[in-house]
Order: sequence, then structure tokens, then C-alpha cells
Amino acid sequence: MMIHCHALLWGPARQPLTPPLIVHLPAGSFTAVTGANGVGKTSLLKVFAGLQRPLAGTLQVARGPVGYLVQQHAIDRQFPITLGELVAAGFWGQRLARAQKAERLQAALAAWQLDGLAGLSLQAMSGGQLQRALLARMSLTDAPLLLLDEPEANLDAAGQTLLWAHLRAWQAQGRTLLVVCHDAAAVRRHARHCLALAPERAELYEVA
Amino acid sequence: MLAPLWQPFMEFAFMRQALFGGVALAMSAAPLGVLLMLRRMSLIGDAIAHGILPGAAVAFWLVGLSLPALTLGGLGAGLGVAGLAAWVTRNTGLREDASLAALYPISLASGVLLLGLAGRRLDLLGLLFGSALSVDAATLQAMVLVAVLSVVLLVPLYRPLLLDCLDPLFLRSVSRVGPWAYGLFLGLVVLNLVVGFQAIGALMMVGLMTLPAAASRFWSRRLPWRLLLAALLGGLAVWLGLLLSYHLALPSGPAIVVVAGAFYVLSVLVGPVHGVLQRSRQPIPL
Repeated sequence: MMIHCHALLWGPARQPLTPPLIVHLPAGSFTAVTGANGVGKTSLLKVFAGLQRPLAGTLQVARGPVGYLVQQHAIDRQFPITLGELVAAGFWGQRLARAQKAERLQAALAAWQLDGLAGLSLQAMSGGQLQRALLARMSLTDAPLLLLDEPEANLDAAGQTLLWAHLRAWQAQGRTLLVVCHDAAAVRRHARHCLALAPERAELYEVA
Repeated sequence: MLAPLWQPFMEFAFMRQALFGGVALAMSAAPLGVLLMLRRMSLIGDAIAHGILPGAAVAFWLVGLSLPALTLGGLGAGLGVAGLAAWVTRNTGLREDASLAALYPISLASGVLLLGLAGRRLDLLGLLFGSALSVDAATLQAMVLVAVLSVVLLVPLYRPLLLDCLDPLFLRSVSRVGPWAYGLFLGLVVLNLVVGFQAIGALMMVGLMTLPAAASRFWSRRLPWRLLLAALLGGLAVWLGLLLSYHLALPSGPAIVVVAGAFYVLSVLVGPVHGVLQRSRQPIPL
């Protein structure tokens, strides 16, 4: 079991966003998180990642690193770092030989159609390039649990195809995915489970 | 003809000590300033510098004029201000800049009052604006020690600090090192400010921390170059500033900071990265 929560309440102090949430997500599951703006999707991911404390209830998340994809506006575009350095941060905490790192970095850049862009500064990247760089960084982590907040934002049609193909590949590797997504058609096509959040109810259902 | 550039340092031991200590400290404080600026925390230096005052005053009151006591007192109070601001922010959600802005008038006022109670025997202006005359061998040792310690510790801190300020959520999700790195970094900032208050003054140390850092931003887009350049500009400002203060009989701290300020203004004007005069040739990519 990857995530196990019982009667979980989260959100701003004394203002839980939905009724108590009871959810069990097995390892290797692919779950979409849907709901209107302000219903607490991002906060829920942060609670699962251990970045925010729940208000009440119990939460057990399997030990190990967590891959977390932030929404882009959280990133300071003036920051003096190159695309290659940003992606390579995914190696954090892994003991790998230098040559192996270089090889895997190249492979990740190629997989996200970023070859030849490693020297690009954060400021000069387009929104789509930055999004693919953040996803490439996530692909280099060895985190068994991946939390993605609107990963399809800023991606064009080709980029979105690439995204969903990679998400399925990650699931095939046995990783557990939770994806905040507003695209109902994409959710139906790719996710096995959907966690629908609304102020009056919060439930997990199987996508037909 | 170039004799005025080095003659005071040959002639007077205190000038030599101020130069060595000041240059060493500038070369550690300026890179710290670059990282503070990246975190959008430039103001914290100011708040900590004011915060040092009551600590130094209490130490003076209790122990008398002793460098280790003043330094320890300043260190305790500076860390206290930084920690208190972080605590208020964490527990109330007040933004960190606002909680710092609220804390430093309190520290400054209580420091001045404490000095008043202590009988005004401690030179307040010397504490805030520094005097090269007060750098003795022990102070020089302390300055060089802190500078070396800062640079040595910055090497392992560099990567976690960088990631923690670009994307704290990512770092916190893969490792627990972020808050520790940040705490240690703030400790180094306090240490640099405190140990510099003898020669350069607590308030003027802030200028030496932020001005070369701000200037370096106009010269390179790459962080390693910015760190190096800020260190060099800081060292140069100490050297030229001490000369200015010697030849014109001015207080040393403000002289050093004015030179650093001149570097900053020059960088804003002619710097190749977004400098004002470069704008026509190189549009800012957004």
C-alpha cells in the first residue's frame, strides 16, 4: 500500500476543504485528482508529500523519496541556472558514477525532446521547455511516489502526447502516480482511478 | 606616484590589519550576499545587523569592553532576531520581510536604551559604523577565521542552498537537508556581520554584503561567476575604501561602503547583463 489515509482533513486552519477523505492507493496505481479550482488539489498533494500538515485524520505514506512536480509560477525565472543543471538536480541523493550520471542525463534530455538545450538559461526557456525540463528532472529521481500538479500545463499537443506516454511508462516501472488534471478526456483515457474532490464530497472511483 | 595606494598599509600596522581582515571578510560576505539576494532575503542582513546591537550592549553591560564577549553577545542576539522572525512567520503566516521589518526597530531601540543604561561608555557610532583603528591582532584573527570558515562551509552548502531557493518543494520532497542548510547559512550570515562590526561597523557590513552582490548581477548570468565577482569587488572596495578613509580622514566603514556603492552604480549603468546603457543593444528576454 503506497498511501493509506483515514478521515483525512486538510486545507487552511479550521476550514477543511472537503468531507473527511478515506483513500487507499496501492503501489503502482495511476490516479487522477480532479475538482474545481480552490477545492484543495494542490494542498492534498502537499499533504501527501509531507510538505503540509493535515488538519485531522491519519495518513500513512510508504517511506522513500517523493517526486513532486510544482506548478510553474512557483519557479523564479530570473534564477541563474541552466536547463542541464535543473534537470541534473533529479540525481539528488543517488550514488552514481559521473559517467553514468552524464549518460542518464543525456537520455532524459533526449526523452523529453530537450537535446542540445542543456546550456539554455531559465530565463530564455519557453513555458513548454521549462515544463519538460521539470518532468525530465522528475524522471531522474528514483522516487517510488510521483505527485504531479497540472503536468500538462504549458505543453502543446505533441508535448502532451509525450507526457502521457512517459506517465504510463513510469507506472509500468511500478511507480505510483497522482496527477492533478483538468482535462476530463485525458483522465478517462489514461488514469485507472480518479479522486474527485468537491466541497460536499470526496470520493475515489474507478475510471470505466 | 602609486605610493598612496599602498603606503598607509606599509606604515601602520592597524591599517594592515584592517586591510587583511576586511578583504578576507568581504570575500566571504559578498558571496553570502549573492545567495541572500537569490532567496529574495537581502533585507535580513539589515535586520540582523540591527539585532546585533542589544546583544553587544548586554555583553558590554555584563562583562565590559571585551571582544569575545561583544562578539558572543552580538552573535546570540543576531541569531535570536533571525530565529524569532522565522518563528513568527511559521506560526502566524506573517511574511518574513514584514516580521523582520517589525523586529529590527525593536532591536535597535532596545540596543540604544541598553547602552544608555550601561552609561554610554561604549561608542555607539563605532559599533554601527566601524573604525579601522579598532582592529587589533585578535580581531584580525577572528575576521580571517570567520572568512575561511564561511568559504569552506559554503562549498558543501552550495547545491542544497541553490535547490532550496529555486524550488524548495522539490528539495524538501527528496531530502531533509534543505532547512538545515538554510539554518547553517543564516548562521554564517550572522557570524560575518558580527565579526565585521569592529572594523567596518554592523550596519556598514550589510552594505559590504549586498552591494557587491547586487553589482555582480549586472555582469554575468552564471552563478559561479557572480559569486567570484562579488568576492573580488568586495575585496577591492575594502582596499580602496580604507585608502579613501585614510587620506581624507573619514570613518572607514562608510568609506568602504561608498566605494562598493560606486561599483554598484557603475554596474547598473554599464553592466552587460541588463545594464541601463546596454538595453538598446540587448533586449531583455522575458
